[in-house]
Amino acid sequence: MAITWWQILLLTALAFWMIIDQLTVAILCNYPLLIGLVAGLIMGDIKTGLVVGATLQLMVLGVGTYGGASMPDFMTGAIVGTAYAVMSNKGVSFAIGLAVPVGLLMVQLDVLARFTNTFFLHRVDKMIEEDNEKGVAHNIIYGMFPWGLSRALPVLLMLLVGKNTIQVVVNSMPQWLTNGLSAAGGILPVVGIAILLRFLPTKRFIAYLLIGFFLAAYIKVPMLGVAIIGAAMAIIYYKQSETKEATTTQTEGGHENELGEYED
Amino acid sequence: MNSANMKTNSQKITKKDLFRANWRWLWSSQICWNYERMMSTGYLYTMLPTIQKLYPEKEDRVAMMKLHNQFFNTNAYVGGFIVGMDMAIEEKEGRKAEEAIAGLKAGLMGSFAGVGDTIFGVILPTIFGSIASYMGLKGNPIGAIIWLIANFVVLFLRFALLPMGYSQGEKLIYAAGNKLNRLTDAAILLGVTVVGALIPTVVNANVPLVFKTGKVVLKAQSILDQIMPSLVPVLLVAVCYWLLGKKKMTSTKLIITVLIAGIILGGFGIIGK
Repeated sequence: MAITWWQILLLTALAFWMIIDQLTVAILCNYPLLIGLVAGLIMGDIKTGLVVGATLQLMVLGVGTYGGASMPDFMTGAIVGTAYAVMSNKGVSFAIGLAVPVGLLMVQLDVLARFTNTFFLHRVDKMIEEDNEKGVAHNIIYGMFPWGLSRALPVLLMLLVGKNTIQVVVNSMPQWLTNGLSAAGGILPVVGIAILLRFLPTKRFIAYLLIGFFLAAYIKVPMLGVAIIGAAMAIIYYKQSETKEATTTQTEGGHENELGEYED
Repeated sequence: MNSANMKTNSQKITKKDLFRANWRWLWSSQICWNYERMMSTGYLYTMLPTIQKLYPEKEDRVAMMKLHNQFFNTNAYVGGFIVGMDMAIEEKEGRKAEEAIAGLKAGLMGSFAGVGDTIFGVILPTIFGSIASYMGLKGNPIGAIIWLIANFVVLFLRFALLPMGYSQGEKLIYAAGNKLNRLTDAAILLGVTVVGALIPTVVNANVPLVFKTGKVVLKAQSILDQIMPSLVPVLLVAVCYWLLGKKKMTSTKLIITVLIAGIILGGFGIIGK
């Protein structure tokens, strides 16, 4: 399937919006799964977009952008990967094989955007000295352009270039590479899971990790069911820690009772 | 005399001002994020109307704008609370409170970032992302739609924080500390449970090797399955977890390593989907 000009335009706009979205209202959250869904919608193949997005999502589950750290830009990867998977009809594993290197290269542009905004910061400093509130406000808002363009321009370029060259690349791919990419797509989620386990205080909650694994691996409880059991255990934990707190304060109060004869 | 003064002062900020600050914080807090002072510009942009309202003198305005363009970084979801507290103090004390405000911002941004990043940045995306990915891998968009709805709910909740910080900031900070820790712990518990279920459901790794000795045919995968279901995914997670503990290993390096390893193992037919 060929890509039309309005699809290229919409995908470019999506690329611009997704980073602004993450910085502000966080509806698409700048996460690959929801971006893949929207990209799939634009390309007229929701299923491909979803599967590409979901696979990429699992790789970045535990990866955050906190304190200014950059994360692999699998959102751009999801857009480009979905578009190419639909265009080439080569399926999801091909899309992942494309999306991962694209996402890793895009980190450099994230760094560039964060760096470029320093320019506006210094202009703001200057405007403050002049007591120019309007100028201050404008220069802060300009910050959205380095952010948005750092995603939109590469997507636009990749879609324009790819339109003609994609088929050549696809046709020249050997079978072993296709198999390899498919296998890699299957195991890449372990990265996201491992990062997440490193981030969370896993050792303290290891029992719950085992419970979750047991439910899914042995009795095949679907994910939503596991989340419900997890929520139930979370509620119990919260309530029990409350009573624990109450008993400690009560024992303290008990001592006071003996001494000061307050009622309990 | 003094108290009468305070009273007229404290009527300066209206509900509309609070809404305006809230709206600005939502759209601008990270829009000009940069390595030098991170979210300083967003904080300044949020405070601009308040500054213009509270300080008629140019000198005061410039000083306060400079103050609010100092280094600031917290979690954008919960940072509005700090802005609210700041507005309440500035309304009462004006420029006198310059140092107190700088202290308040620096003192709270770290702990707010800790709680906000854990709950909104890690736990919620983990729970909803896991459910949505699990369904999404099968081509089912329901999970993704649930996630979208949850994001709208979070957006709505965020809007309550700035007015809350304004009206009862100090009181809540002291009261909520312990409750917040327990809530974060409970959320982490839920997250860890879901992650445990993720390992066998979303990692696709079989060993399609077949050994033949005479008439006996041994399928590697069925032997592995007898030991434990999803043994290969569990081992892979364990290896990645261990690798991440190495000094020079980063998440990006790990992704490249796993990608290459996957292509090689898949290319030789040792691991398949």
